[in-house]
Amino acid sequence: MKQLSTHQLITLFASLEGGWDVRLPVRLPDGTRAMGKLSDAPPALLGGPLPSKPTAAFFPQEEQVFMASEGEIRPSPTPERPLLVAGFTARDLECLRFIDRFFATAPRDDLYFRCRETALVAAVTGWCGPAGSFMKMAQGGCDLELVRDQDEWLLLSYTEKGMSVTRGVPHRHDEGRLERLRQLSTTATGADELLLRSAAALLRDDLIPDSFWREIGDRCILCTGCNLVCPTCSCFGIRDWRSAAQTQRSRIWDSCQLEGFMREAGGHNPLGSEALRSRRRIHHKLAADLLRWGEISCFLCGRCDAACPTGIGIVSVMKEMVSRYGKTTTYMTQEGVSTVDRSSRIR
Amino acid sequence: MISSPSPLSPPLYLPVTCEIISVTDLTPHEKLFRLKRSDGRPLGHLPGQFVQLSLLGWGEAPISVASSPTRGELFDLGVRRAGSLTTALHLLESGDTVGIRGPFGRPFDLSFLAGQELLLISGGCGLAPLRSLIQYCQDRPERFGTITILYGAKSPDRLLFKDELSSWEASQRFACGVTVDSSSDTGCYDGTVGLVTSLIPPLTLDTGRTVAVIVGPPVMYRAVIAALKQKGVPAERIIVSLERQMQCGVGKCGHCSIEHLTCCQDGPVFLLSEIEQLRGAL
Repeated sequence: MKQLSTHQLITLFASLEGGWDVRLPVRLPDGTRAMGKLSDAPPALLGGPLPSKPTAAFFPQEEQVFMASEGEIRPSPTPERPLLVAGFTARDLECLRFIDRFFATAPRDDLYFRCRETALVAAVTGWCGPAGSFMKMAQGGCDLELVRDQDEWLLLSYTEKGMSVTRGVPHRHDEGRLERLRQLSTTATGADELLLRSAAALLRDDLIPDSFWREIGDRCILCTGCNLVCPTCSCFGIRDWRSAAQTQRSRIWDSCQLEGFMREAGGHNPLGSEALRSRRRIHHKLAADLLRWGEISCFLCGRCDAACPTGIGIVSVMKEMVSRYGKTTTYMTQEGVSTVDRSSRIR
Repeated sequence: MISSPSPLSPPLYLPVTCEIISVTDLTPHEKLFRLKRSDGRPLGHLPGQFVQLSLLGWGEAPISVASSPTRGELFDLGVRRAGSLTTALHLLESGDTVGIRGPFGRPFDLSFLAGQELLLISGGCGLAPLRSLIQYCQDRPERFGTITILYGAKSPDRLLFKDELSSWEASQRFACGVTVDSSSDTGCYDGTVGLVTSLIPPLTLDTGRTVAVIVGPPVMYRAVIAALKQKGVPAERIIVSLERQMQCGVGKCGHCSIEHLTCCQDGPVFLLSEIEQLRGAL
């Protein structure tokens, strides 16, 4: 184990900029925390999950596919320096693992891996959450983990890449301290995981009526914020930008909440109502991906709930689903906790 | 942590240049483009597959291949003028170039179709992808049982591949039924008038040997499927090819999802039994 003060850690990041394109949480002039470069704004490692999509480092909002002029197509060049991206929470790493798997599945998406392949991913965990709260340790799934404890950062390397960037930092033996942090991580609450599984089961069993999705759809203002901040949302469109001399083809994030997302050339639209599009947003994560990939693709990062102006982020919707259509409901009574079977009401 | 790329993996999103060999007017709204890869290689497709047609400055659109791989290294795309890209494409002439990616998607299962009596039903532009299978059946007659082609269009002037329809009708190989929804626009049409579904009830089908293939506009599927089920054809012997707005063709962009399936990779050809319970599939 290695440990550094915040100042020493930032100095380490600065020293790596010759060989790496270093991105880490910074605080913008308006107070927002965002992924950026040390030259952009002061670093802001404390504060918990970034509000924006952390996987945008490898799947950016707009990405050049190629440039073409005079009939010649030139693929996008590989960046000169590999990315070093710090700031992933343990949940963010689950999201990253999922979309790594998504883009790696044949046919492999070479555009995604152009930057991802060589990147170094660093988690930021420990006592660095909102208002100084504890963020569960990742304990793997990244190259390097920076664990905040007692005004210091513990550096844990999990890969050769991770070791290569911390090689010059002296080693200290303090396994007891690390073990306490690991213990804290295992006792993190799992209430939302139970909610996730309950909501997924309701969708799997087709127990959510269309009227529910009409209600949710009526509350959607089509801002697409839920999709834009979601680390596992990967929908995109292809667009050409023409100028007199050349054409740039790009892929750009798209949102399944927009009316034209699935509209076909002939006018038919399989997602032709806000109700259907709202259902897709939730069903895709909790049921469709579970069938296709064997796992739910929401890892409860909380970004869509924080971003949604009308309160229909995925956790909010799951709570409504489970409270209204769940087979059991837990009530507090004078005698204590009581669980009531509501399955007869649902069918 | 990250899987390594195969050295044989081609770049997913880079189009291959193709030369337009000929352009034929099919209707006032549809043209047939005969293409050849500029590198001289065959397209390597099977009936039922599609390509992402690429026009620099306009983007890409999914277009079904309308010719059989048995017809050589040239391949056909039947394209309706429906938006900015297809309008720009319709202005091109022989000698111009376009890009393609693909072929993509699950083709018709030719081994499943082998030895079966085929009932090929299409409407409107759906005849273009079905033409690939029809040509394949023409060129490999020993592989298939009797073949019945049913085709419906909105009006006589919207019928695609009129010459080929006539040759199929005249051929001993095929039984052919052609109809139009309405013939009020023209006075020289003396064929059947009515929906394509009206051609199904008179058929005599061996439901244990018949495989029905449906390609057409979304509105057609439910009615045709109902008529086929009425005749006793089970969902396991009904094949559909679905249209969706594929933007990538490789299962990544999300635009053609049908619940947990992607139309561009798991389809566009599906057994009805695979998708009829999925919300929004039909």
